[in-house]
Amino acid sequence: MSLVRAERRRFFKRRLTRWLVPIGILLLTGIATALFFVHSKPTAEARAAAEVRAEQAYQQELGYFEQYKAECEKHNNGQPCQGPGRENFPVENFMPPSFDFKGMFQPLLLIWASIIGMIAFVLGATFIGAEWASGSMMNLLTWRPKRMSVLGTKLTVLLGSVTAIALTTLALWTAALWATGVYRGTTDGLTSGVWQSFGLSALRGLALILAFAVLGFGLASIGRHTGLALGVALGVVIVGQIGLRIVLELAGVKFADQYLVPMHIFAWMDKEAVLQDWSGAVSCDQNGCNAPEMVLTWQGSGSIALGVIAVVLVLAFWQMRRRDIS
Amino acid sequence: MTAVLEIQGLRKTYRARGGPRRALDGFEMYVEAGQVHGFLGPNGSGKTTTLRTLLGLIKPDSGEMRILGHELPRLLPEVVGQVGAIVESPQFFGHFTARDTLSLLADAGNLPQSRVDWALELVGLRERAKERVKTYSLGMKQRLAVASALLKQPKLLILDEPANGLDPGGIREMRDMMATLSAGGMTVVLSSHILGEIQLICDSVTIISLGRRVAAGPVAEVLQAHSSGQLRVALETPADLSAAAQVLVAGGFDLKANEDHLLMSGVDKPALVARLLAERQLYVSELTPVTADLEDVFLELTGTAPVPGQVRSVDQSVRPELTPQNGVGA
Repeated sequence: MSLVRAERRRFFKRRLTRWLVPIGILLLTGIATALFFVHSKPTAEARAAAEVRAEQAYQQELGYFEQYKAECEKHNNGQPCQGPGRENFPVENFMPPSFDFKGMFQPLLLIWASIIGMIAFVLGATFIGAEWASGSMMNLLTWRPKRMSVLGTKLTVLLGSVTAIALTTLALWTAALWATGVYRGTTDGLTSGVWQSFGLSALRGLALILAFAVLGFGLASIGRHTGLALGVALGVVIVGQIGLRIVLELAGVKFADQYLVPMHIFAWMDKEAVLQDWSGAVSCDQNGCNAPEMVLTWQGSGSIALGVIAVVLVLAFWQMRRRDIS
Repeated sequence: MTAVLEIQGLRKTYRARGGPRRALDGFEMYVEAGQVHGFLGPNGSGKTTTLRTLLGLIKPDSGEMRILGHELPRLLPEVVGQVGAIVESPQFFGHFTARDTLSLLADAGNLPQSRVDWALELVGLRERAKERVKTYSLGMKQRLAVASALLKQPKLLILDEPANGLDPGGIREMRDMMATLSAGGMTVVLSSHILGEIQLICDSVTIISLGRRVAAGPVAEVLQAHSSGQLRVALETPADLSAAAQVLVAGGFDLKANEDHLLMSGVDKPALVARLLAERQLYVSELTPVTADLEDVFLELTGTAPVPGQVRSVDQSVRPELTPQNGVGA
């Protein structure tokens, strides 16, 4: 327990922790503030004005239709053409945006998870990387020579600390969105089932953040330097994502997005992501066109992430056990 | 006396691009309780590898090690609480204060926080304890490193170049501290290149060269064993040097005549020289045994004495044959 206490103290004493966490909170605050001000509460005056605008838009569309009706029927072999329906111009489309907490909370969790996840990656990488680079790890091991236990304790402390940061920021994020719903929209329709669904989404967000923290920690442990983790992250973004996308598109690979990390993050957070292959057998009918689809599920994406994390952690612990410290 | 530290037949080979490199090749070392023991060797001789192997940072290929009777590395976790160590110059987080640094180590070692002030006081950093380590000079960082090693109040203190970066006053303070700690029963293993300091501080030494022990034992014995046994003889009247040389050669002595003195070798009893000359009315003004200091012995044993016009590579030193003779007291 003494090492846990020491590591926890060290984690929160670190300059990077003291800078990055407030920066993350500041970013979330900025986004929440913007969301607050671009939405507004639906009032009777706003609804009346929206009704006027909806009617105007309908009449304008009707005017265009009358203007080109003869030409349309000519192209339609004399059959009558159908004009725009009034029901296609609902008043809601002309209302100023209103914040629907029930509908917006889950998609907006991705913003929280992404920002805190990036911070968790950097904190995870530097937490162990800086120790290796500075020689503090060697010093610590002269106090606690059980290497596996030391690395395991550090990882546990990291996960605990990141969980605390994630839950604190989640509470702030939820409160900010709730306030936006109350003052700039609605919080109606929140049944226990909806809250349960929110809870599960937040858990997936937390898992995503912890996964980033573990990856940063594991990669920096393998390289015994923060630089390796940051280098791999940069490599994945530049080579593995931007470069890979270009190569896959040039090669005409179907459902190329399935190889890209962001799509799996979407799938994980939204429970699924539907990919369409417009280069394949596209079929069209009166209702529109359909392309072949591929569905990425959160279970599938989660399994891939779990596999990658397991490999990184096994390598990190194996080399901690085997490699000399010099 | 009880051996606090025992190493036998320690071997370690590093894989390197140019082929395997033997850092330790059957190395042996013994340190007795309560001693200040100097651990000497040229750069790349295996000192740091030895210390790191003792502390479980490097896995040896073979060999036996014991600290306070505990077999290493298997029982290191049991004995590590009684071993304080700094290996090379430990770096600390620059943005932490000295007090934070030691306080975190005390937590990690499950030690009372009161030890922090005690250790800071001991190395003279108490007044500067609230300053960030990045503002410290090299010498102050070195003091902090020593403080971190003392925090455990260990039975065995291993210090690798503790005087590195210290000013002359700091070196003297360090010397006094070693003496105090040793007098209090602490065993100190001191690795340093400041051989004059080692000679002053240490009770015994081990000298390593290319991974093998070349000498070990009490400092006086090592110096004696490797001293030349030469005697410097000067006369009241320098003009008599030639006559004196003739007398002594006739007496069976080996000597070398210099401008103002004679340098004799293999003299067991200097008084015999004085008597022999006095019988011929030749009176000595100086009769001094030429003693080797630790630096001379070190340079001779490791073969690292500089040769004018030559640049020595770090790997150019003496590798002794592994024989029973290069055991303790060789």
